[in-house]
Amino acid sequence: MFQFSTTGALLILLGFYGITFFLTLRIGKKQENADGYMVSNSSVGFSMSAASMTATWIWAASFYAAASSGYKYGLSGAIHYGFWGALMILFIYPFGRRFRKLAPNAHTLAEIMHARHGNSSQMILAGSNVIGSVISLMVNFTAAGALVDILSPLSFAQGVMIAGVGVLSYTFWSGFRSSVFTDFGQLVAMVLAAVIIIPLIFFKLGGPELFVQGMGNLTPEQASFYSPTAILEQGAPFFVAVLAYAIGNQTIAQRLFAVREDLIKPSFITATIGYGSIVIGLGMLGLLALLAGVQPIDGDMNNLIPQMAATYLSPVMVVLLFIMIIGSLSSTADSDLSALSAIVMTDVYGKHISKNKPNPKIMLWVGRMTMVVATTLGVIFASLKLDILSMLIFVGALWGAIVFPVIASLYWNRVTNSAFTSAVAIAFLLFVVARFELIAIQGSVALFFEVIAALGGAVVIGLMVFGFFGYRAGLVAGAIVACVMLYFSIDFLRDYIVLLSSLTAYGASAIVCTAVTLRSKQPSFNFAAIDRRVVEFHTEDQ
Amino acid sequence: MSPMLLTAYVLVWPIIASGVLLTLCTCLVIDIKEAKRTDTSLV
Repeated sequence: MFQFSTTGALLILLGFYGITFFLTLRIGKKQENADGYMVSNSSVGFSMSAASMTATWIWAASFYAAASSGYKYGLSGAIHYGFWGALMILFIYPFGRRFRKLAPNAHTLAEIMHARHGNSSQMILAGSNVIGSVISLMVNFTAAGALVDILSPLSFAQGVMIAGVGVLSYTFWSGFRSSVFTDFGQLVAMVLAAVIIIPLIFFKLGGPELFVQGMGNLTPEQASFYSPTAILEQGAPFFVAVLAYAIGNQTIAQRLFAVREDLIKPSFITATIGYGSIVIGLGMLGLLALLAGVQPIDGDMNNLIPQMAATYLSPVMVVLLFIMIIGSLSSTADSDLSALSAIVMTDVYGKHISKNKPNPKIMLWVGRMTMVVATTLGVIFASLKLDILSMLIFVGALWGAIVFPVIASLYWNRVTNSAFTSAVAIAFLLFVVARFELIAIQGSVALFFEVIAALGGAVVIGLMVFGFFGYRAGLVAGAIVACVMLYFSIDFLRDYIVLLSSLTAYGASAIVCTAVTLRSKQPSFNFAAIDRRVVEFHTEDQ
Repeated sequence: MSPMLLTAYVLVWPIIASGVLLTLCTCLVIDIKEAKRTDTSLV
């Protein structure tokens, strides 16, 4: 298998981060302002916004996981990864428009929750984002280490360190503005690589003839576009999980607050198409590997894409792939750094330490120091090769539990802080019980969870329809899905614990939030108060 | 399904991605011109 020399690998990495760094010098200001550091000028244009959304949503794991899905589930595998991920970008934008309308000057979603409910709901969102972003940083640095380890004589730890220092170097000074600005170039590199590499590998493997020769390598399920296993094990859990990520993740919210308000819709639609085509396309490499009878090195699916490239492509094309993956992980890592700095600047320093009267200069340095600490943590955790699966499950569950309470809080003026907090707490607890089977999921216990999960499915679909077509349509869609789900879930979902527990988080949070709200005697909330409480931090002369 | 349709299924994604890239690059040129005209920053 092809490998770069040490000098070659170092030149590519230093070239990539060096060019990125010099690009950011073009936008750097001697005196950055705190708001610009977090959300730019809140009127970023279409091209930058759409490119940034796409580049941020695509991380290194997107390639590896899409290819793994294609390899494992055959014809429909890549679709069940990329299509649902793409659709989530689309589904978030109606809610994004609502967030912007309520709080045009917001920096984080947690800040809006603080204005709506107070401390506890804010800290649930901020805390989950801090953990989520540090994990994401670690995953991206780990991907860099693994790639460098496979394709060069450099070690895993050296790859991690270079990626950490590289990303921090160009994000440190201008924060979110650097992240958005560099995302464009990184996306161009990713698209070019995908557009060239996919057809090249396809024709190297025999082109259309591959389907004639290789279909025998597929099981009947893998050869079907309607594989129930692919839907239940990959498509449905991923569909449910990414909705939670779209609402809970500050990197997405930050771009919602940065794009010019009238460009939210076109930016998000373009990002949907861009994400879907790139990720599904690269997922096809997994299908091609399956058809060609390729076995992943050491049985590790993450090796599939580098292995396919190193085996079937020329060294120049491997360089392109290398840049594509480094670009994808860097664009997500710089977004995580910007997200973390915005949360600490706004939700910790701005709201709690300075009590809404921050010193903008101190605030800016709080953000920069957050980036340094976060990068250090990301590099250390990545180097230690920690098992992150459990942490990732907890963060995903927490975000799944907050989806309904967050959306309900911003549309329904009767939702209270106790409704929000108790809904998240109970939903999270039930998720943990189901996901780790703390009680045997059988008999009446299984029935209990299946009913809640069925309602969770109704909540997911109901919210999506509500976002696009309004309250009545959402309610009708939710009711229909609830009936269908109840019919099919009973005595069935207990065999799919991942899906059962994810849907439980949605269902339980919706039930508790609605019940506690309806019992509340508190006066209705005036949504206009959110705009008054969410303020800009810089002054006009800055 | 015929090999030609399956070929189209594999190759349609890079074609769509190229279309998105072309759109974004065209709009970036427009955005840069607009930013220069109004003396504002792109980000």
